[in-house]
Amino acid sequence: MRDRLLLLSLLGLGLMAAAPFLLQAMLPANQAQFWTANVLGRAAVFGIIAMSLTFLATYGGFISLAQMMIAGVAGYAVAVFVEGAVPRIVGGLGYGLAIPLGVLAATVMGLIVGAVSVRTRDIYLLMITLALSMGVFRFVETNIAWFNGYEGIRNVVGPELFGLGFRDPWLFYYVALGTAVLLLAGVLYLVRSPFGLVLQGIRDNPRRVAALGYNVALHRIAAFGVAGFIAGCGGVLATIYNIGISPGTIGLGATVNVLIMSVIGGLGHPVGAFLGSLIFTIFDTFAANLYDRDRFNTLIGAVFLIIVLVSPDGVIGIGARLRRLLGGSKP
Amino acid sequence: MGRAPLVFEWIRVGKNRVVPAISLAGVSRRFGALQAVRDVTFDVQPGERRAVLGPNGAGKTTLFNTICGDFPPTAGSIRLFGTDITHLKPHERTRLGIGRTYQTSLLFNGLSVLDNLFVAVRGLRPNRFSFLRPSRGDDGMAKARELAERMRLSHLLDAEVVNLSHGQRRQLEVGMAMAGDPRVLMLDEPAAGLSPGDRPELLKLLRELPRTLTLILIEHDMDIALPAADIVTVMKDGEVVVQAPPDRIEDDPVVQAIYLGGGH
Repeated sequence: MRDRLLLLSLLGLGLMAAAPFLLQAMLPANQAQFWTANVLGRAAVFGIIAMSLTFLATYGGFISLAQMMIAGVAGYAVAVFVEGAVPRIVGGLGYGLAIPLGVLAATVMGLIVGAVSVRTRDIYLLMITLALSMGVFRFVETNIAWFNGYEGIRNVVGPELFGLGFRDPWLFYYVALGTAVLLLAGVLYLVRSPFGLVLQGIRDNPRRVAALGYNVALHRIAAFGVAGFIAGCGGVLATIYNIGISPGTIGLGATVNVLIMSVIGGLGHPVGAFLGSLIFTIFDTFAANLYDRDRFNTLIGAVFLIIVLVSPDGVIGIGARLRRLLGGSKP
Repeated sequence: MGRAPLVFEWIRVGKNRVVPAISLAGVSRRFGALQAVRDVTFDVQPGERRAVLGPNGAGKTTLFNTICGDFPPTAGSIRLFGTDITHLKPHERTRLGIGRTYQTSLLFNGLSVLDNLFVAVRGLRPNRFSFLRPSRGDDGMAKARELAERMRLSHLLDAEVVNLSHGQRRQLEVGMAMAGDPRVLMLDEPAAGLSPGDRPELLKLLRELPRTLTLILIEHDMDIALPAADIVTVMKDGEVVVQAPPDRIEDDPVVQAIYLGGGH
């Protein structure tokens, strides 16, 4: 079972690494580039943000609606401090400093969200994280001096790497993929550490965790900090992908989209976030071709309903469900 | 009825110089209008086996919860080897040497048997908060394996807890409570729901516990409680009504009245 999982993961990773080459071989050049950056690259970036939610949900049992806002904090921190952004709010920093600063800001915001919501769970946790998100959203939208209000901050183009602009489709794709793989590997490592095991203990039985001598609040806040770090990495990449950031990026719609990605993919395993994000991105991109651009919400809503009805544990649960249906292997 | 007299002799003979493992003084716990535990006072000596008996709703589990800190007492004080723990949080009490099991198993269903025990072992170590996976030779892991062996669960190390039988879950409960090398082990109805075949096994396991350990157990089943205990405390309506060695308990008129429902 373990070997098969490892084989499957390596196969998936190989496929993702080879994807730009395969696309180039199969499609005209401009379409191949579009798929590489705007479908696969974007899916990896939003998959990272969705994974921060999946990490909390899968291992801690916490559904947080603050993850898109936390990603936005990273994006805004980069946009405010980096040189070249329009309008110039603070500026002066290169990407080498602005990006770690952005990720740090998101981690701190994650810790703050964790600390504020430390005593709540289930629907109350959902509501308090949503309230925090909307609070930050409104603050950013109405604040001109620091965040340029409704307009947001533009021209965050990303650093140059290997003599290429960051937005070169291949470079962007491989950076996004590499970041996603590293973060996923990090999560899988972490959940077998004492911290990760205790987090799963809190999910199953917080009272027992406390009785065993652990500080439940500390572990919860740390988990939100880790999720904040992950969301921050996604937020920086998303800001560079969009060449800037505006309040709409962290609005209610965006917040719900991240939740939809996570649920479509499945909350049983962090890799589900990337599957969900890929499906979401494909529908988002091609809704116009499939039906009508304005009907995207109807379309993704229908997909969401079908997946949740057929397999409540998302796309990731479909494989196991099929195997059981066919009666092939043990549950 | 007033406070039960200390009827057994060995506490009087020189034992009063020993600091009691657990010392309850006037402990009460109220939930709104309900007085669940009323003015309970007794000492449990180091190494003693104490059984707490009583009908449903007598306040046994609430008394446990006040000692372990889940519900702090609304009046009275609790001392653990002389240290006042009345206002400490559950995990602080655990660190001071109280291990407990729960009436219904409170286990980590999504984790394996070994991980459950490992989490229990790490809980009392200074490196309990760590982002680093345990190394191959980690002594916490070794201790978890040793506990599994002691609780006869070695063949199930990698099994997810959700798939265990009821008896195995009870054994794991005791194993997890033992993980921190507690000085006082508190078992809340360890035999609840066990098949008759599993009961002698549990009794054997209880009797094998080292004598350095102080044991307090709540138990409905007299066949487990009486052979395992040195002294039995009987509670009713939140109060202690009888306190006596096991051989005197079955014949005690008050106990008979409680258990047989008559006044004889």
